[in-house]
This record gives sequence, structure tokens and C-alpha cells, in this order.
Amino acid sequence: MNGVPAGHTAAGPAVPVVVTGLGTVNALAHSTAAFATALRAGTCAIGPVTGFDATGYRSRIAAEVKDLAIPTWLPSPLRRRASRSDLFALVAAKEALTDSRLDIAAAPTRVGIVLGATTAGMMRGETALFERIQGTRRRYTTTPLLGMPMATSADLLATVFGCEGPRLVLSTACSSSATALGVALDWIRLGRVDAVLAGGTESMCRTIFAGFNALHALALEPCRPFDRRRAGLSLGEGAAVLVIESAAHAARRGAGTHATILGYGMSADGHHLTAPHPEGVGAALAMRRALARSGVGPADVGYINAHGTGTPLNDGVEASAIRQVFGSAADRVAVSSTKSALGHTLGAAGAIEGLTTILALRDGFLPPTVNLDEPDPACELDFVPRTSRPAELHYALSNSYGFGGNNTTVVFGRA
Amino acid sequence: MTMDPAALKLKLKELLVSGLRLQDTEPSTIADDQPIFVEGLGLDSIDALELVVLIEEHFGIAIPDEEVGKSAFASIDALAAYISAEQARAG
Repeated sequence: MNGVPAGHTAAGPAVPVVVTGLGTVNALAHSTAAFATALRAGTCAIGPVTGFDATGYRSRIAAEVKDLAIPTWLPSPLRRRASRSDLFALVAAKEALTDSRLDIAAAPTRVGIVLGATTAGMMRGETALFERIQGTRRRYTTTPLLGMPMATSADLLATVFGCEGPRLVLSTACSSSATALGVALDWIRLGRVDAVLAGGTESMCRTIFAGFNALHALALEPCRPFDRRRAGLSLGEGAAVLVIESAAHAARRGAGTHATILGYGMSADGHHLTAPHPEGVGAALAMRRALARSGVGPADVGYINAHGTGTPLNDGVEASAIRQVFGSAADRVAVSSTKSALGHTLGAAGAIEGLTTILALRDGFLPPTVNLDEPDPACELDFVPRTSRPAELHYALSNSYGFGGNNTTVVFGRA
Repeated sequence: MTMDPAALKLKLKELLVSGLRLQDTEPSTIADDQPIFVEGLGLDSIDALELVVLIEEHFGIAIPDEEVGKSAFASIDALAAYISAEQARAG
């Protein structure tokens, strides 16, 4: 895209879109400010599972959200009843809305919601099933089952915050909420809405924990992405919600902006249910499309927040895809994995890592890949091992690759 | 088997608090004639469904339809009266 200014594509200038609100709940922190501090400190939140009895599983560690206070601003039925994944989404959305000072009531039909999710409130449904099988529950009641449909989180956000615009929950496995950020961008550029609450939410459940264990995809010790000895991923949970709006709308109401969101690219490997394409064809295509649609060239990119799960296959393929797309510019781009600190939050990962990328751009630092002691010589990139570094960044990518070959890359710019 | 009305009402209040997870409410602060739903204890229609199951599990008494539910769930007084009448009817 040489010679084309950023934000412009071959098709001409795109409507500028900005991020005006940030909110997150995750295993490191229950607010964006605390999360930024923990990220820079290189803290790892992965430890023994406490949310359910993990006896008998091959791996028994994860990055769990602990001691989250039930907010008093929630209506009483939700305080008593919201599933864990719904609660994460509600808390993250409230923080993002407070941060953005968006007045939804001024034009409620112009505010949309798009979230990524995978298993929603599965955990409590599992518990109800176990109680029924064990005979301690004679009948199913409504509450443990209410949070199970993935659509619930977005429904609750709309109800609690009064959003009357389009509402969508999408599921592209581990890239779900990265895709959600892209869809929000499309809605705004198509003029369907002025602002979107976009993000993802995920809470731990036994089904997913058992599934990843059965695949031998979970590391026995906290994951170490891009390390020579990496042996799998660690699961995590949490949520992130961003307020995304057209730059014009944000400017009219005098909103502060954290970053710009320039474009995204999607692709499918069309290869395998769990393994990435060995040549990283889909991963590279998602990055290329994202860059082209953003009008950003590889040499302009200072940081890539990698998918970086810590599995032997993903990290090697992702590093190779970055080399293919960036060529010699790959030697000057920093690449790190937030999953080394927060575990893999699946449906929330794209949004949490998008938020991480925005913090890096806004605050001028490279989040580290914690637990990275021996960078894999086969990967050959600057993975920001263990310690964060200051860096002046202009453009950054966030990669998300899901099972089934669901690839999404989002491009962010400094505000 | 019938319970002493005061004991029955206390048991119902405790059941409401524990079964519907009204963490901030002390059973003894619920008035016998206080409306249970909406403006009273802030319960909603899903709580009503939960309450139907709780009453059936603890007293073996069915709330067959919405009509019966509406009058039986009006207050602790009304619920206790409904349960006592059903227990008496069952002998």
C-alpha cells in the first residue's frame, strides 16, 4: 500500500472509526486501569482451577476471574441470577460506557451490540445436570438454564443499558470477539449505527476444560507461547467490551479517543477441525486483508498482539505467517502473546487482546510474553520476553485464530 | 400434616431468601402482608417460576396455573393460607 495514506484504501478514504470506551474483567484485573498496570508488570494469572473440582483432569490449571463483586447498579433479579459470563459482559460494558460517556438514551436505536461467545453460561447448566443425575435436584428450574444460550449476554446488555439498535452474537471459535470488533466497524461504516458496544465474554466450564484436555491441548504448567519448550495452552475467562463509534460522532459529542480502528481481515483455513494450516495460509491471508483494508503497510506496524496460544503448532505457524506477510519488516515488529498472562479466553480473547493492543498504542509500551524463557529459534521474531518495554507505536495488529480455521486480524492505530 | 401458621410463614420467608438468593434480605424483615413481586421484594416472573418449584419441592403442593399463582403469591399471608388450605384438602 505504498503511497496510500493510512486509513485510505484503493477504494478511497474509509469513514474514520474510533474507540472511545474500554472495559474489561479478566484474571489479572477487574478494570482497564488495573489491567494496564498488571500487563506492564508482566504478571501471570494462571494457577490451579478453583471454580470446579478439577481432580482427574490431565491439566488442572487456568486463569480464573476471582472475587468479582456483584455490582450494586445491576437490577436485583440480575444481581441474583446473571450467569458468570453475563456478569463479566455487564461489568465490562458498564466500565466501557462510563469511560466513553456515551449517552445511549439520546438515540437508542443508533447504538448496536455485537459480542463474540462460545459456551456462555454452560457452567451452571452443567451443575444443574450433575445435581439432577446425583439426585440432589429433583426438577430443573429456570435460573441455571437461562444463561446458556449465547445470545443472552447481548440481550442483557441491551436491556440494562437501553440499546435499541442491531444486536448480534457471533461465534467463530477463538476469533469470535475479534470478528465482533470487525462487524462493529462494518456497521458504523455502512451507516447503520453511530456507536456499538462490541466485545466478547467467556466463563470457564467443565465441557470446554474436558474437551481441551482430551485433545491434549492444555499445558500442565502455565503456557509459554513461542518458547522452545511450549507444550500447550492454558484456558482463561473474562470479558472485554469496547465502545466503537464513527470519529465524527465522537467529535460531535466531544468524546476522548483511545485509538482508531482501521480495518480487519477474515479468512478460513478450510483445512482441519483443530489444526492450523501447516503453511499458515489462512493466517497470512487474514493479516494481508486486514492491512490492505486499513491502508497500512507492514513497515508501518510496530506491534502484533499474536494469537500465540502456546501450542507447538499454532505458534510456529503464526510466526511463519508473520514472516510471509511482513518480509524483512518482520525484524522490526514486536510480537507478544497476552495469553501467557491471561490464558486463552476463547470467545473473549479477540476483544481482550484488541483492548490490550489499544493500551499498547495509547500508553506506548509493548506488553510482554510472560513465561518466555527460551524463544524458539524456529520462530525468530522479537517476542518481548517476560518484561514489557516502552515503544512509540503508530499501528498495531491483533491476530485471532480459531479452531476450524477461523482467522481474524484487526488493525488499530494510535489516536 | 399442617404447620402452626407462624412457623409456616417463617419457613416461607426463609425459603424465599435462600431459594431466590435474596442475599441482602433478612427473612424476619419481610412483612406478612407485603407484596412479594415487583415493588415488594423486587421479584419478577422468572422468580415466580422458581417459587412454583420451591413450593412443590418443600410442601408437595402444586401451583397449577398462573391464576392460582397470582393469588397465592400475593403475599406471605396469601401463600401460607393457600398451602394450609391445600394441605387440609389433601387430609
